[in-house]
Amino acid sequence: MNTFADTVAKLCSVSIRDYINPYSYLNWPETVGFDEWCTSPELISLYGTPVYDSLSTAEQKRLSFYEAINFFSLNIHGEKSLIEGLAQRLYRKGNDVVSPYIHHFLDEENKHMIYFGGFCVRYAGKVYPDRKMVFAREYAPGEEDFLFFAKVLVFEEIVDVYNKRMAKDERIAGIARQINFLHHRDESRHLAFGRLLLKDLFDRYSPTWSAETREGVREYLKNYITTTWKEYYNPAAYKDAGLKDPFDIQEEALRSETTRARRREISTGCIRFLMETGILAEQPQL
Amino acid sequence: MKTEIEIRQSLREWIAKTNGKIRAEDLNDDTPIIERRIISSLQLTDLILMLERLSDNLIDVEMLKPGAFRDINAIYRNFFETANAQSS
Repeated sequence: MNTFADTVAKLCSVSIRDYINPYSYLNWPETVGFDEWCTSPELISLYGTPVYDSLSTAEQKRLSFYEAINFFSLNIHGEKSLIEGLAQRLYRKGNDVVSPYIHHFLDEENKHMIYFGGFCVRYAGKVYPDRKMVFAREYAPGEEDFLFFAKVLVFEEIVDVYNKRMAKDERIAGIARQINFLHHRDESRHLAFGRLLLKDLFDRYSPTWSAETREGVREYLKNYITTTWKEYYNPAAYKDAGLKDPFDIQEEALRSETTRARRREISTGCIRFLMETGILAEQPQL
Repeated sequence: MKTEIEIRQSLREWIAKTNGKIRAEDLNDDTPIIERRIISSLQLTDLILMLERLSDNLIDVEMLKPGAFRDINAIYRNFFETANAQSS
């Protein structure tokens, strides 16, 4: 039977084998036009809503560009906080087994930000700002590490569904497709690592937590999933795409049963893992 | 742009509704909403969206000064005062 250490060693060797130079690997086109899809239509946040259906194909493609900018911006912010957290844990006492892989994790996440940032800055001249904040507080033993890696897992699991689908979608601009492919290729290892580590942390620390701490962790995680999803519905992207009343559009889209069903479908793997491991005791409100 | 009184009232109502336990009339403009955990870090994301809607401006949290969300006075000062002064 493979131990956690064996799996980490295997993940390291694949990272070494697949090592790439992020500056020479991609051929960046001069422009990406509004006449191309940059997000798969079915993954556009408003897809299936009356607002989306009222748009012409040209307007839908323009929206798909700003949805890509939002998706890549979310990735940049997620990976920035991931890099911060990973760097803090590198060579920390008790992390001997995982530290070699944290080096690869950091390297790969930095490369992803080069791709995402390259797309946003080249073609839109901006990255949408982050709206998430974390307040300092006291934690039970293992709780901070657990919550950090749980948030990483939620963020990466959802992102990876988008990456996998768009990496194969011949309709979308080549550069957007390639970025999704490259991200997915590394993320599949990060996800495997994340699931193993999160279960290990939960099994190790949760028996030592009070019922109140355990309940607090679950409640926080459920709310985190809901908040993560809200960020896919960005009024700033709707405004840039030329849509009127972007905040109303966001609220209506989040209330729509069509988009709720899509959020559920995309989150299935992530939530199944969290339920099966006992990390979550009930489904989050999507 | 709403008036100062309207903005402060909107903020009080939003905080009370989001918290679910505190009433708008029990909330002062100097009640520390973060320190007293009336608003959680995750609810802050919604507050930022609400402020963006009210001020018609994108907010970059990385550019904010510490304490920008401390209470209603701080929120008004940081996100509305300049714009309202310019429009009056």
